[in-house]
Amino acid sequence: MPLEATMILIDNSEYMRNGDYQPTRFEAQQDAVTTVFQTKTDSNPENLAGLMTVAGKGPEVLVTNTKDLGQILQAIHSASSKVSGTADLPTAISVAQLALKHRQNKNLRQRIIIFIGSPLVGQGADEKNMVKLAKKLKKNNVAVDVIAFGEGIDEMESGVLKAFVDNVSSGDNSHFLTVPPGIHLLSDMVISSPILAGDRGIPEEAMGDTAGPSTGGAAGGFEFGVDPSLDPELAMALRMSMAEERARQDAMAQASGEAPPTSSGSVEGPAPTSTEPAEPTDDEEEAMLRHALALSEGRDVEMEEHGDEDEEMSEEEAIARAIEMSMKGPTDEDKSQEKK
Amino acid sequence: MDETLETSLLEVLDSSQLNCLNENDDHTLKHILASKKLNSSSSYLLSDVDEQLLVNIPFNQSVRIRSIVIKSSVAAQRPRLIKLFINRPSLGFDDVQDSQEPDAAQVLELTEEQVLEGKRIPLRFVRFQNVGSLHIFVASNGGDDETRIDGIDVFGIPALGGTKDLSGLRKEED
Repeated sequence: MPLEATMILIDNSEYMRNGDYQPTRFEAQQDAVTTVFQTKTDSNPENLAGLMTVAGKGPEVLVTNTKDLGQILQAIHSASSKVSGTADLPTAISVAQLALKHRQNKNLRQRIIIFIGSPLVGQGADEKNMVKLAKKLKKNNVAVDVIAFGEGIDEMESGVLKAFVDNVSSGDNSHFLTVPPGIHLLSDMVISSPILAGDRGIPEEAMGDTAGPSTGGAAGGFEFGVDPSLDPELAMALRMSMAEERARQDAMAQASGEAPPTSSGSVEGPAPTSTEPAEPTDDEEEAMLRHALALSEGRDVEMEEHGDEDEEMSEEEAIARAIEMSMKGPTDEDKSQEKK
Repeated sequence: MDETLETSLLEVLDSSQLNCLNENDDHTLKHILASKKLNSSSSYLLSDVDEQLLVNIPFNQSVRIRSIVIKSSVAAQRPRLIKLFINRPSLGFDDVQDSQEPDAAQVLELTEEQVLEGKRIPLRFVRFQNVGSLHIFVASNGGDDETRIDGIDVFGIPALGGTKDLSGLRKEED
């Protein structure tokens, strides 16, 4: 539970009008900011966070350190009507540092969280200057997390931004996260990343696995399309249900032998299950089989109409096999029922 | 002046607000000041990115400071040029880098002897009359990339008519 004052930098450059994140980059970012703010303030009652924009006419502090979500929401809303210009990240970071420096409670660690969805432009945004800035931040005990998103963002600025985060990091307190466009939500990617791990009481090592595939795209990174760390009980239920279903399928497969998926298989399939509740006698079983046989033959006739002569032989073989198997199948199941 | 009247002002240290810029995560200011007396354990304060340090020492009542002790056991890592500031809780390195005497309360060049033996460094008493927080900026050191401080102590007297420390009252009620 880190005790922190956080400054959240949001990108409000023209690039944020892009619709490659649902619904637009800016609104996806808005959602993620709310998530970050709530996670930060929930993790410790003394935690504070502020908000500022990096583009427009110039970097602008919208909210100084606060605990009030309403202020943040209102500020983001007002920023959404000021989407213009390009991001001036170096200046914005310096301003954010000043805002953090004048926090009331010196006990709070300083942290800057940067959302950036546009290329770095302008003077001072090259690697040399950014590294210099990073060193200065590190000296002033400021940690920085960068969340880069947008098309081709990883090729374009991973170099500079990654170097920036690496240089500012002291004791692994700063993180760099890229979120490529996809069907996933930006906020989901952020909350399951190491950036908020500390605030959610999850050791960062445990986040290692989920953070990796999460950048791969979609919810496919997780076993059931749900982040197990978000809802451990749901994940457990899903896992148990999966195991049960697998056990059931295994039992089915065993009962019916290694039946190849022939056309008769589909008919043969339901036969044992339908007889199951009645605990059939052998005579009834025979009748069922004959019925199944008739059905399969019925299909054969249909097939013949399509002029498939060769199929008939194999079809008959399959039926013979099906009979054999269904003879064996139910008896196995009878046994298992007797055990119960 | 009578030195016996002076007490270690670390007694009235506000340890919750204690902080230091550019400190190494493994060797922080709290390690050497949390005990509220001159550090005698093996722990020490070390700088991180470069040799500069900005130590902020807040008190929970206003005090008058007569002298300080800064102790370092490694000659190359000892603080050399230091600048002292008072009552400036939001200092950053940019503010102190170029400041000189009228702005800083005092600028001192420490001798090797003063630091290695942990001798009392007398201050200009008149400039430290109503101190709520003391800030020590270590501008340079003995030549190493890192600055090491093994112990800090502050001597003086509580200010007359200043705010009294009320935090101890609660304990007596219990």
